[in-house]
Amino acid sequence: MSLSSAADTAAPPGPRPFRGGLLSLEPPCLLGSRCTACGNVTFPARGFCPACRSVDGLEEVTLGTEGVVHSFTVVRQAPPGVEVPYVLAWVDLPGSGVRLMATVSGLEPHHVELGMSVELELTPFGTAGDGAELIGFRFRPAGVAT
Amino acid sequence: MSLAPAHVAGVGMVRFGKYPADVTLERMALGAGRAALVDAGADLGQVDALYVGHVFGGPVAGQRIAAQLGLDGKPVSNHENYCASGATAIREAWVALSAGLHDVVLVVGVEKMTDRVSGGVRPDPGDLDAAVGYVMAAGHAMSARRYMADHGATREQIAAVAVKNHAHSVHNPFAQYQKPISLEQVLAARQIAEPLGLLDCSPISDGAAAVVLCSPAGLRRLGISGPVPRVLGVGLVSGSVLTGLGDLNAEDVSGRAGEEAWKLSGVGPDEIDLVEMHDCFTIAEIVRMEGLGLVPLGQGAAWAADGHTALGGRLPVNPSGGLLSRGHPVGATGVAQVCELTWQLRGTAGGRQVDGARTGLAYCKGGTVNGTDGGSVTTVVMTR
Repeated sequence: MSLSSAADTAAPPGPRPFRGGLLSLEPPCLLGSRCTACGNVTFPARGFCPACRSVDGLEEVTLGTEGVVHSFTVVRQAPPGVEVPYVLAWVDLPGSGVRLMATVSGLEPHHVELGMSVELELTPFGTAGDGAELIGFRFRPAGVAT
Repeated sequence: MSLAPAHVAGVGMVRFGKYPADVTLERMALGAGRAALVDAGADLGQVDALYVGHVFGGPVAGQRIAAQLGLDGKPVSNHENYCASGATAIREAWVALSAGLHDVVLVVGVEKMTDRVSGGVRPDPGDLDAAVGYVMAAGHAMSARRYMADHGATREQIAAVAVKNHAHSVHNPFAQYQKPISLEQVLAARQIAEPLGLLDCSPISDGAAAVVLCSPAGLRRLGISGPVPRVLGVGLVSGSVLTGLGDLNAEDVSGRAGEEAWKLSGVGPDEIDLVEMHDCFTIAEIVRMEGLGLVPLGQGAAWAADGHTALGGRLPVNPSGGLLSRGHPVGATGVAQVCELTWQLRGTAGGRQVDGARTGLAYCKGGTVNGTDGGSVTTVVMTR
């Protein structure tokens, strides 16, 4: 009894990224890998450089948080359990030379435009088996306070 | 290195569609496999091996099929490359024939989707794209929006692909849908992932297709003396990790698959008379034809709207009706494309026959992998 009551009162572990190595909670940003041989930056981090195929000298790098919408869609049908509609976009991070896929929130879907400026936002991505809050990422219109 | 062609002794399909649960994977595979064996005039004892392409069939689906079909005890292998699974099985069969391992093989592509997939297909849950909300329709919708912005193409031009392929399907007894549709219907259809609507998307389907492939010795074993259509080569590439901020619709993966096809078959792109193209979505037919180099960059949508890719046009694409109309039981599609090319090259395609068809290409693109320009792409080159 004492063991189970101790477990009941233990605080769950603190929030953590929904995948290790994908992002930093503080400062909030995405993590990629940079090839020290050719300078190419990749997200997510890989064990090789896709530009020059080097497997040595890859270092972790923080990515810029300012992005531009390269293309987007309003998803109106998804498999069961996924709430629609939502905006999914290809977002370019010009400062890092990286393009990635993410949702865009914080505005009406029909207000999203090609070329629009957005910024990274960390957001809950569910709960782990140990009770910890998992943190993922999305984008919101640049300069809009949350 | 040049591999010997695989001769197509027989083909068979069951009509693609939405079937009740008791029309099982095994039952559909049995129907298509038997039809192909009958078409080839082959007895069970004359078949050396079974190759099966499927995605959702579960462990040893091919062996379950063999035990229904009467090919139990033979070498059986299962091939999964998502929507390119059936074509991948054909590639492996072609290699085995060329190597002299077998002389007569049966290839079956099969999928039972309607009792296990709803709302659209998506990547493996372990893929990062799936975690951020990716569904296949969304990727093609973003491709379409960028294509329109970059090339001045219109929504109507993209929708013309669906109108064209459904017009072709009227003549295909194996197609899930065999009715013409209007441009207005495509544009007014329920939105799935903007700007794409329901009729821009291939359906979730059940179905099976099968081919009997032979070496020259295999043809003799089956008593076939006249010429039959041949698979000259099957290209296979995978998506490569993208770097930088380039053209979203560059389709380098399609270009590389085309180069593989030309190299393996000895056929050049200017010799292709018709294409069975993986039009899982309208826009996909457009950008993939461009990626192959068969349509000039940025002109694919206009080509569709102007009829250049219709029957009787400059380069007919999807005389079968394509995935949009024939249906898309994912593991079966690549084999169904080879059935269609076979009928076209035999000159027995009826109302959808491409006049004078001598050489054809079948293209499949299967799956997505985060950060790359695709999962797998196959390119089958056939001649008569």
